[in-house]
Amino acid sequence: MKAAPVWQRKDTLWLAVWIGGLTVLGLWDVAFLNRPALLRLASASWNTAIIGCAVVVCAFVFGWSSALALHALDHAGRRWGYFVVTFFLNLIRSVPQVVGILLGYVVLTLLIREEMVGSQTTQLMAIALVISIFVFLEVTDLILERIRYFRKLDFFDAMLVSGVRESRIINLDILLRNSRAHLVHKAIQLFGSSVFLLCSVDFIVSVGLSTDVSLANFPPTLGGLLATMDSKQDILAISTVLTDPLSAPRLLLEHLQGISTAFTIVFTLLCVFRMSSAFVARRRLE
Amino acid sequence: MTKRVVEHLLAIVVVGAVFGVLIARMHEEESARRTALDPAVQEALRLPFLDFGDPLDRALFRETLDALAPHHRSRHNSLLQKIAEVRREQFTTEAYKTGAEERGITSVKLLRVGAMYLQFIAIYVLVMAITVYASETLGVYRFVRMKQKKSSSLTRCLEVVRDVRLPHARRVVEAARHLALAIAKGLLSMVLFSPAYVIAYSFKTRFDTDSVVFMVVLGVLSNGLLITYAHKFTTFLVAESRKGYVETALVKNLFHSYAARIPDGIPLVAMVRLRKRFPGHVFHHIYLNAHHQYLPALKEHASLLISGLVIIEMALNIQGHLSYEMLKNILYRQYDVVLLIAFGMYLLVKGTEVTVDLMMEREARRLENRASMGGNDR
Repeated sequence: MKAAPVWQRKDTLWLAVWIGGLTVLGLWDVAFLNRPALLRLASASWNTAIIGCAVVVCAFVFGWSSALALHALDHAGRRWGYFVVTFFLNLIRSVPQVVGILLGYVVLTLLIREEMVGSQTTQLMAIALVISIFVFLEVTDLILERIRYFRKLDFFDAMLVSGVRESRIINLDILLRNSRAHLVHKAIQLFGSSVFLLCSVDFIVSVGLSTDVSLANFPPTLGGLLATMDSKQDILAISTVLTDPLSAPRLLLEHLQGISTAFTIVFTLLCVFRMSSAFVARRRLE
Repeated sequence: MTKRVVEHLLAIVVVGAVFGVLIARMHEEESARRTALDPAVQEALRLPFLDFGDPLDRALFRETLDALAPHHRSRHNSLLQKIAEVRREQFTTEAYKTGAEERGITSVKLLRVGAMYLQFIAIYVLVMAITVYASETLGVYRFVRMKQKKSSSLTRCLEVVRDVRLPHARRVVEAARHLALAIAKGLLSMVLFSPAYVIAYSFKTRFDTDSVVFMVVLGVLSNGLLITYAHKFTTFLVAESRKGYVETALVKNLFHSYAARIPDGIPLVAMVRLRKRFPGHVFHHIYLNAHHQYLPALKEHASLLISGLVIIEMALNIQGHLSYEMLKNILYRQYDVVLLIAFGMYLLVKGTEVTVDLMMEREARRLENRASMGGNDR
């Protein structure tokens, strides 16, 4: 079957819409937003993107390792080992993500105070690590499901009797060659959830815990920037448009920091979701 | 099923034991920290008629001590210094800033947190019921529209613009109508994907304990919860509609038109009904099987919903609610209370998991019985 041209693929289209939308917003901000706010917004967006990507990588490392460990324990007949690992994974699953990440932030603050986590890059990676602990189970479940599905097929046993190692069949033939679309879809989803969780926890930390988990400890992100008084006042101005629609243009000129930050978060979440759904539909992953 | 329930109970017992040990240890540390105060300082601070913030009272206290024990003047100096240090610590250390409240888990606090927990459960159950109904309804609606081959408002707008057969005035009106509809849908999508705090701060600056209705509305509409699960349900319906039994049902002449306004079609009323039934239509079976597959997703839904509610309560600083209490206790480093609330949330997720498992078991038994009696939903 001939593949659809790039411009007819909805997922690619949404990727273009996302990049295009953020580029237009960036150009608008360069033209109308004051320089300090522009620098803060650029830095926050960059940090959020970096953490989002790092979460995807960490979640894949954790998810892949835990799935292989579970599979190995299950097939080696080590019921107790399997039970213990499953128990801990289920424990992580039962803790609401945002609560777990918030507790992780408290630990991170203590580490920063003890100067065990120093540079900004280390802090970004540490945040990514904390978030990935609470999202990697999605990767584990996906990989286990793919292995389970392919084990039922004849090709698995055929390759085994041909002398191919089981680890090679799972990692190369099942996951890399025959589950690439599923893994790409999961990576897109994880990026979306990590941006959502990061922004939410940073917002909470900045609004509610400002004296304990000071934002000065953590690198700026979109959630933290949105929690500043200026941004909150900018967002509040949205409601004035409902009563006075003619004031809408002022939003884009006078309340740009908060509006840009909120728009970047919401637009990213929307586009990532659309990309993910379109990818599922195109590759028929249902 | 018994095995699954035992697993859940075992998990609750083990996690409860771990949380219990941690809470007890923190409680002990707190008590040890308090008893580490010099007994002489404690005794002096307990004197109700002395205000150590007043220089006159301090001088009076010191002179009294000197008069009673004139050979221990240096010890008295040191005692006064210690009292000053303890008082300074009480005024400056965040750990003491809990208003008139006693630190640690006390019976009064337990009752207050318990009431907040019950309120949290009530809101959770309400939002859960509404989102499950709304996501299924929205999922069915999207699937039926897909089957009706209805194009999006933006595509319709472009089609109308290109349609030269229509009179010019009507073309403009129709195109404007579809464009307005497309913009409205786009804005609604943005709202559904917005984190709760973005929507909330667009309308209000302050949130009080009377914000329960506002919280429920936000819980349903924000954080992408509704749209994610509606999409999930549509995905289940699409996957189900591609299965072989659907083709067989069509051959057996079951109704299969998705038009809204014909007797054998799918009317809007049937889609929005609480208990959705489409008798005689192939979609009835597609819906039932998709609904059956959707049940396990409720576990994941529960965890996300709790996260959403926690975000709403914490980000909007809604006082008198469980998550705000948790945030406050993190701020004052009362980690025993934090752990207690976290354990409460864990129990809520586990409770949902057990309920979902029981529902799945009941559903499976119902389907098996039906199969053994000759009828089959699949």
